[in-house]
Amino acid sequence: MKKKLLSVLLCAAMATTMVVGCGAKEEEAPAASAPAAGETKEEAADAAKAGDVNGDGKIIVGYISKNIVDPFHAPINDYAEETFEAMKAEGKIDDWTGVLDGETDPNKQIDRATDCISKNCDYVIILPAEAAASDTAVTQMNDAGIKVIVVNSKTTSTDDVALGYVGPDDVEAGRMLANWVIENNPEGGKYIHCQGVIGNSAQIQRGEGMAEVMASHPEFEMVGESACEWQADKAANAASDAISKYGDELVAVICDNDDMSSAAQKTCNDAGRSDITCVGVDGNQNPLQMVKDGEMGATVLQDGPGQVGGAVTMIEACLAGETPEKEIMVPFVLVTKDNVDQYLK
Amino acid sequence: MAKNGEKVLGIEKDKFRAFMGKYGISVILFFMMIIIGIVEPAFRSANNMINVATQVSINAMIAFGVCLALTTEGIDLSVGAQLALVSCILGHTIVNLGWGIPAAIIVALAVSTAWGVLNGYMIAKFDMFPFVVTLSTQLIIRGLAQVISGGKAIPITNDAFKKIYSMKIGPLPFPILVLILVTVVMYILLHWTKLGRYIFAVGDNVNAAIASGVSVMQTKLAVYALSGFLAGVAGIIFTAKTGSAQSNIGVGYETDAIAACVLGGTSFSGGIATIPGVVIGIFIIGFIYNGMNMIGIDSYYQSMTKGAVIILAILFDKIMNKK
Repeated sequence: MKKKLLSVLLCAAMATTMVVGCGAKEEEAPAASAPAAGETKEEAADAAKAGDVNGDGKIIVGYISKNIVDPFHAPINDYAEETFEAMKAEGKIDDWTGVLDGETDPNKQIDRATDCISKNCDYVIILPAEAAASDTAVTQMNDAGIKVIVVNSKTTSTDDVALGYVGPDDVEAGRMLANWVIENNPEGGKYIHCQGVIGNSAQIQRGEGMAEVMASHPEFEMVGESACEWQADKAANAASDAISKYGDELVAVICDNDDMSSAAQKTCNDAGRSDITCVGVDGNQNPLQMVKDGEMGATVLQDGPGQVGGAVTMIEACLAGETPEKEIMVPFVLVTKDNVDQYLK
Repeated sequence: MAKNGEKVLGIEKDKFRAFMGKYGISVILFFMMIIIGIVEPAFRSANNMINVATQVSINAMIAFGVCLALTTEGIDLSVGAQLALVSCILGHTIVNLGWGIPAAIIVALAVSTAWGVLNGYMIAKFDMFPFVVTLSTQLIIRGLAQVISGGKAIPITNDAFKKIYSMKIGPLPFPILVLILVTVVMYILLHWTKLGRYIFAVGDNVNAAIASGVSVMQTKLAVYALSGFLAGVAGIIFTAKTGSAQSNIGVGYETDAIAACVLGGTSFSGGIATIPGVVIGIFIIGFIYNGMNMIGIDSYYQSMTKGAVIILAILFDKIMNKK
């Protein structure tokens, strides 16, 4: 009896879904064709329609974040939200998806990409979690006819299929990290490197730039490279381990981001070793505050909102019927006590 | 449907209650779908339904395994790490060693099943807490994945392998077919076979089970081996989906799997579970993710919403059960 009831219920549910589904198609069909017909008439008059990629009469923008928990990504996501809400209010775009949470997980990013396809997005901005694994999200949306703009770090086929790429020159950031350490420790010494998530393009390229500069400075010796996965606590542990192992010989802790470098610096300062140079990339509020308070020497600021801003200019160019730039590089800034006020909010 | 329900309520009250007690959660799923469908028309498209079913296939495989473990009054926390290990084995064998896809898949599944057997052996033989055993083995399993991959991502460019995720048979992507097949097999296994009855018996009252001649050892070995195997299947789908083998994937995936089981009426104290219930739990989780994104709920509120929906659904289910 229970089974019978279940099957009745499920059948009812299925039937209702089908009816609802079919009903949706029926009501959508004329809605979609109506603006299309109108479009042909006033094609020239309505310039905004030039950027309507999938031709459904609506311009919808998708935004797949890397995550919504890292301090570095919060201002980027906020900037995206403000910008797209403003564009929607001005009527430049019809709708946007809101900030979709990528959870720093390529699997989830691919799911969000299929959600964007279902939502009939014309443009999607994605901040990839991984270079290789998140690539399916980009190719899938490209196959569905969506114009994809990759921001912050490239996926494997970004150069081939994406509308454009906006990001930082991470190799240059790596060089800036190494140069800062060299400048502050002319005699050289031992240093450790706290890496981000291994395999992430930012981690690879920052490491590359650092190694490139350090190669010509034999007075420096790297004594440890630990995969701290962008995590502050792991970098702090690595720093305290290195202090107890190498003592006074340790002169620097180079980190792939400044959540890690600020935590490492704090650990060093607490251990009475404020002479150790800790430096990282991003320009988050906490590290900036530490620079201002003199607790940390410097941090390398990455203009995250500026990168999304670059992506928005690409979309605006498309909407205006122009061909956007294929690649925009947003520069890094070395923030020290002298210029910190400019960036600290 | 409502009319149908009232009629049953009027005439066969007890049976309606029993039904709601067991399947009330499907009513929640149904109303969830209707509400999301009204707010966001794009949600109702057949395409989106297929998307969701494809998206949940990974969590589904894991959830079935966890459901078996929960039913024997255990738990399997190693499933997330198993994803990573299977992924790295596939990447290493296919890309670095140039193996064929079938061989790589067989080895990957064999390894994940072997880890399941080991979990089951330690739990059953030495009577250790499943929580502790699998909490420890997941560290070893993830460590192995890191050793195999050297911590790096191994891109798998082999198109035939990626087809495992993107291949379509008729309108249905391959992962959905796997989902359907595994669901049917799991249903038969848990509800129709002797092993299924043993699993319930062990979880319900282990002493009574022993007294009636059920081998606890064999039952638990089978349960954890299946959980390992299913995590392996999930790992294959995951790797084919992302086209990349890496050791940092699947962190925290046991959470969604456990949530799906609990939504589906699986009891933490063992002995109670239904496969249709778990399937509905899996889809509720899937629709929470997909629905919130389709509606455009601010992602800062999504985590809260997800937690609240799960708690409310379980609470509703409990109240229905008690009446």
